[in-house]
Amino acid sequence: MTTRAGIRADRLTTVLGGVRVLDDVSLEVGPGEIHALVGLNGAGKTTLMRILLGMLRPDRGTAALMGIPVHAAGARTFSRVGQMLDTPFAYPELTARENVYSAARLHGMGRAAAGAAAQRALAALGLDAYSAQRAATLSLGNRQRVGLAAALVHAPAVVVLDEPTNALDPRGVIVLRRLLQDAARDRGASILVSSHHLDEVARMADRITVLHRGTIIGTLPPGTVDLERRFFELVLASETQFEEQA
Amino acid sequence: MNTFLAAVEFEALKFRRARLVWTVTALLGLALPVLAAVFTVAATAGGSSKLGLKAAAILTGRGWSGYLGAVGMMQSVGALMGIGFVVCWSFGREFTEKTQAGLFALPVGRRQLAYAKFAVILAWSLAVCVAGLVMAAGSGAAIGLGLPGPEALAAAAQALAAGLLTALLACPLAVVASMARGYLPGVGGLVLLVVITQVVTTFGAGAWFPYAAPGLWMGMGGAAAAHINPWQLILCIPVSVVGMAATGQWWKAMEVTAG
Repeated sequence: MTTRAGIRADRLTTVLGGVRVLDDVSLEVGPGEIHALVGLNGAGKTTLMRILLGMLRPDRGTAALMGIPVHAAGARTFSRVGQMLDTPFAYPELTARENVYSAARLHGMGRAAAGAAAQRALAALGLDAYSAQRAATLSLGNRQRVGLAAALVHAPAVVVLDEPTNALDPRGVIVLRRLLQDAARDRGASILVSSHHLDEVARMADRITVLHRGTIIGTLPPGTVDLERRFFELVLASETQFEEQA
Repeated sequence: MNTFLAAVEFEALKFRRARLVWTVTALLGLALPVLAAVFTVAATAGGSSKLGLKAAAILTGRGWSGYLGAVGMMQSVGALMGIGFVVCWSFGREFTEKTQAGLFALPVGRRQLAYAKFAVILAWSLAVCVAGLVMAAGSGAAIGLGLPGPEALAAAAQALAAGLLTALLACPLAVVASMARGYLPGVGGLVLLVVITQVVTTFGAGAWFPYAAPGLWMGMGGAAAAHINPWQLILCIPVSVVGMAATGQWWKAMEVTAG
């Protein structure tokens, strides 16, 4: 019996503005797994995540969530997906609580359940003291926390987070790491995160994939201390190969 | 249906927290009836001041019907501008503030979210138009028009209908704000629409131009041009429905290609 992947990208290729942003990218995130995507700016991490979440159609290849092709996914599938890409779900005119509550409601939760879940999510991210404060008045880091609370409030089975530790203080980074590890361990969530912080990724991820110029150029062993050197070796090797082919 | 209700609830929450919405509410619901009352007083004061003469030229009747006609006339222009601004903000802000990515991968579809925005905007428009008439009732009494008679009710109903038709006509601006991904292009579209309406009206084709018809019906082009047949007014509805459906379809198919 095979376990169905929470997230699957199969030979994705995308060209945007004449540039091949993704080239034959395949990736899988199994249940209970935290899969980190690392790469330089412009490597294609965000584009890959957009395709996985149905924000962009690939030119070739398929993306699936919990075994359902993303373009055919319906309310039932998406009610179990949490994501934060580009800008946190933190509307400036709404309070922290209202933002998280709204995210819970939009994910199909009833009013009472959404209220209780929002309170729990805010507490888990250390936002208790700010719950009645409008997002416009929060610091960048706390807005990021609100966005993370909104992505996780409904206990999703699939989580996709783009640079989730951006703007977080060291405590926030630890809080997020624990939340994601708990989600993977306790309810078998499939989690895909992109990050620039290799040391953070090393502590959190079960698998680390390196994306460069829209291609997967290798993997890094998580839990090791010398990720930075290994990362740049992979990038350098890829660049050398690219220049030789050019 | 439950997901649509959640979307309406979400849009209504954002809507009632927005300063722009409250500003436009105050302008349409409070300021315009008061301004119309000032014009009515100036027109009926019997003086020969410039304001008085111009105000007298605007009024299409005497007493309550003249005053409510002026309210409706101002609302037909003011509502297009005010509600148009709100439509452009409501849709364009998701792109200007880069919040659109959060509207993907949800059980509630993006077309439903777009329709939820329209539902909230139209419900608010109805409330603002009614509030404007309530304010007009108070203002009319305050300037000594006495008790409103049956003709006042007919004028109020006409003003309400003109306001609501104009609210419907503001909705297609959402297509511009969405496709151009921002509220400023939408506002640009609104300005262009007002200019086109002026030009079309000047050339005498205003009655068949939906964006001019409610204003002409209220007497903007004078008593002679106010004879608008029902079909010319009803034309506003398909224009609005097509605009809203096009917006919904665009939202359903939209992609995020840049941050």
